[in-house]
Amino acid sequence: MDLRFSAEDEAYRQRLRDWLKENLGAATGAGGSANAAMKRAEEGSGGKSDPLAGARAWPRKLQEAGYVGLAWPKKYGGQEASFTQQVICADEMARARTPPLINTIGLSIIGPTLVQHGTEEQKQRFLPRILRADDLWCQGFSEPEAGSDLASLRCRAELDGDEFVVNGQKVWTSLAFLSDWMFLLVRTDPDAPKREGISYLLLDMKTPGITVRPLRNAAGGQHFSEVFLDGVRIPRENLVGELNGGWSIARSSLDHERSGLSGVVALEETLGRLWRMAGKVQRGDAEALGDQATSRALAQHWIEIEGLRHLGYRTLSDQIAGKPPGAGASVGKLFASELRQEMTRTALRVEGPLGPVAKRSPHVVDRGRWHAAYFDALAHSIGGGTSEIMRNVIAEKVLGLPHAKDD
Amino acid sequence: MDFNLSEEQEALQEMARGFLSERWPAERVRELLDARPVLIDDDVWKEIVEMGWLGVAASEEAGGIGGDVMTAAVLCQEAGRGVLPGPFQSSLVAAIAIERSGDKDLCSGLLPGLIEGKRRVSVAIEEPGGLYGPDAVRTEARAAGEDWLLTGNKILVPEGNEAEHLLVAARTPDGLGLVRVAADAEGATTTRMDRMDGQSCAALVFEDAKAEAGALLGGADRGEALLREVYDIWTALVAADLLGSAEASLELTRSYATERVQFGRPIGSFQAVSHRLADTLVDVEIGRSLLYGACLALDEGRDNAAPLVSAAKAWLSETAVAAAEAALQIHGGVGFTWEYDVHLHLRRSRCNAALLGDADHHRDRVAAYMEQSWVPLVKA
Repeated sequence: MDLRFSAEDEAYRQRLRDWLKENLGAATGAGGSANAAMKRAEEGSGGKSDPLAGARAWPRKLQEAGYVGLAWPKKYGGQEASFTQQVICADEMARARTPPLINTIGLSIIGPTLVQHGTEEQKQRFLPRILRADDLWCQGFSEPEAGSDLASLRCRAELDGDEFVVNGQKVWTSLAFLSDWMFLLVRTDPDAPKREGISYLLLDMKTPGITVRPLRNAAGGQHFSEVFLDGVRIPRENLVGELNGGWSIARSSLDHERSGLSGVVALEETLGRLWRMAGKVQRGDAEALGDQATSRALAQHWIEIEGLRHLGYRTLSDQIAGKPPGAGASVGKLFASELRQEMTRTALRVEGPLGPVAKRSPHVVDRGRWHAAYFDALAHSIGGGTSEIMRNVIAEKVLGLPHAKDD
Repeated sequence: MDFNLSEEQEALQEMARGFLSERWPAERVRELLDARPVLIDDDVWKEIVEMGWLGVAASEEAGGIGGDVMTAAVLCQEAGRGVLPGPFQSSLVAAIAIERSGDKDLCSGLLPGLIEGKRRVSVAIEEPGGLYGPDAVRTEARAAGEDWLLTGNKILVPEGNEAEHLLVAARTPDGLGLVRVAADAEGATTTRMDRMDGQSCAALVFEDAKAEAGALLGGADRGEALLREVYDIWTALVAADLLGSAEASLELTRSYATERVQFGRPIGSFQAVSHRLADTLVDVEIGRSLLYGACLALDEGRDNAAPLVSAAKAWLSETAVAAAEAALQIHGGVGFTWEYDVHLHLRRSRCNAALLGDADHHRDRVAAYMEQSWVPLVKA
C-alpha cells in the first residue's frame, strides 16, 4: 500500500500548480465576470455581442496550456495524459477553486462519447471545438414520460432520405438556451423492444423547428429548459454509432465517471465553511461549535469525507492497475450526493433560528449561502441518475440481486 | 499510488477465509454460546499458532513474519467474518504492545512464547465509570522502592481470566502507561465477565497489586506514547473485526434475498429490500476505505493516524450493527432463530461497537482533532 505519486507525476502537479498561480489570478478576476456573463446570458440580457465571451476565456486558456481533454487523443487536440495525471489535474483545479467551465458538458459527456463512438469526421469536426469552448453542448435525454425510466423515451425520429425528421419533447435540458449543439436520444424503431429502438443523434440548435422554453427551478434560477422538436431535420451523418444502437452508447456516456476525488475537495471546502460558520453563530452565551450535537455532527462529516476520499484512492488504484471499475463509481456518486445534502441540512440546523432569514436581509447568517447550497444539493440526488436508480444499479450490478421488474 | 491490499495480503486473506470456513464453522460458536465462554478450541488454536497469525505484526527476530498493522487488520477482519473468538485478537495486540515497548527481556522471553501460543498475555485499558479510552484511566501505579503498586479497576479485559500476564493502563507519576502485572499477583483479583457474544473477558480489581521493577512498558519517557499507540492500533483491529462482521451480515442477506421467494419473486427484487442492502454495501465500502486509510496512516506514522482510526471505528461500529440488524429484518422469522447465523454477527458487532469507544466517543476524538489540528480549506 502506498499513497505516494511517482516523481514524474509530482513534477506534473508542480508544473500545474505553477501555471495556476500565474494564470488563475487573472482568470478569477475574469472568473467573477465569467459567472456573471453566464448568468446574464441565462437571464437573456446578454445583448448582441457574445455574452459568453468572458465565460469562454478561461476554458480557452486551459486549452492552450493543455489542461483540458486530458484523456483525448492528441490528434483531436487532446493530451493522452495518464490516468493519474487526469486525477491530479482535477484535484489541483478543485483545490485552486478554478472557475466553473462553461463547456463542461462537452468536455465530460459528449466529448468522451465521440472519442469512443464517433466517426472520424465527427471527431475532427466536433472535438477541437469542444476543447476551445467554441461549441457549447446540451444533453437531450430526459422527456416528460422518460425520467429514471429513460428507455421509455418517445421522441420520434424517422428517416427521410438522408435526414432524420425528429418530433417530440425533451426536458430538464441544462443550458439549452445557451447551447450550439444538442446530443439526444430518439426512438428510431417503435416496434423493437424499448432499448433496441433508440438512436443517438447530434443536433445543431440553429435548425428550424426547435423551441426552447426555459424552466424556472425550485431555487428560483433558470438553469434548465424544455425543448420542443417539431419536424426538426438532422442529417444522417450526425448519427453516432449504429442506427438503433443508441442505448448502449448513452449508458457508456453515463459511465464516464472519475474516481470522484475532485468532488472530495469541494466537500472539504464546504465542511470548512460550515466549521467557520459554527464557530461564529451564537448559541446562548457561546458559539454553536461548542455544543456537543454540533461538534459531533461536524466530526461525522469529516469522517464521511475521509471515507469518500479513501474510496476514491481505491477506485483510482484499481483504474491505474487496469482493473475494471469496481463498486467505486456508483457507490461514490450515491454517497457523495447524499453527504452533500446532509451537510447543508447540518448547516441550516447550526444556523438555528436565524437560518430561515433570506439573503440580503438584516441578520442573515453567512450571507445566506446555505440556502442556495441546500437547494443545489437537493438537485444532486436527482440529476445524473437519481439516488434510487443508483441503489438499483448497486443492488443489481454490485450485489447481484435479481432485477426489480422483468421487461 | 496503490491503495489496495498487496498480493501477499490478498493471499493471506484468502487463506484465512478458507481455513476458518473449514476449521471454525459458525456451528461451533453456537455450541459454545450455551457452554460459555466462547474460546478457540485447542486444536484450532494450535493450527492458528502454527500458521504464524499471532506474529503477523511482529518482526522476524521475535519469531513473527514482519507484517504491518494493515496485515494484522486483514486477519482481524477475517476473524470477524468467521466469528473466530479469543484469545486471537488479544494475543495479537499484546504481542504488538510488547514488541513496540522495545523491552529487550520481554522481546526475547515473553514475546516468542506468546507468538508460539504458549504464554497468554492480555491488555487492560477500559474501566468502570462510563467513559472510554486512555484519558479515562484512573488506575494508579505508584512506585514502591524498585517496584510498582497498582490500584484500580478494569473491565472488559479480553481473556483476562485465561491470561498469565496483564498489560494494565495506569497513571504513573510520569503520565499514563502500560504496566505489566502477573495475573496472580498479590492484590489482584479477577472476576469472570462474559460478553453478549459469549467471548470471555474479565473484571480486574487491583489493591496495591505488586508489579516488578521495569514493569512500565517503554519506561517513563515513552510510556504514554506507547499506550496511546497500542490503543490506536487495537482500535483499528477492532474496526477490522467489525468490517468482517458487516461483510458477513451483508453476504448472508444477499444470498438469502436472492433465494427466498415471496409473492412469486425473490425478495431481493423488491426495492424495500434491495435498497436497504445497497445502502449497507455503500456503508461497508466507505468503512473498508476508512479502515485502509487508518492502517496505512498508522503504518506510516502520519499525524492524522489517530483521527483516521477514530473515523474507521465510529463508522464501522454503526455500520456493522446496522448491517446485522438489516440481516435480521430481511431474513424475517428465520433470522430470529437460534439456528441462523444472523444473531452471531449481531452479538459480535454489538460488543465490538462498544469496545474501546463507541461511535460517539470516536466522533468526539475527531472533533478534538479538528479543534486542535485541522486546517479547513477555506480562510477564516
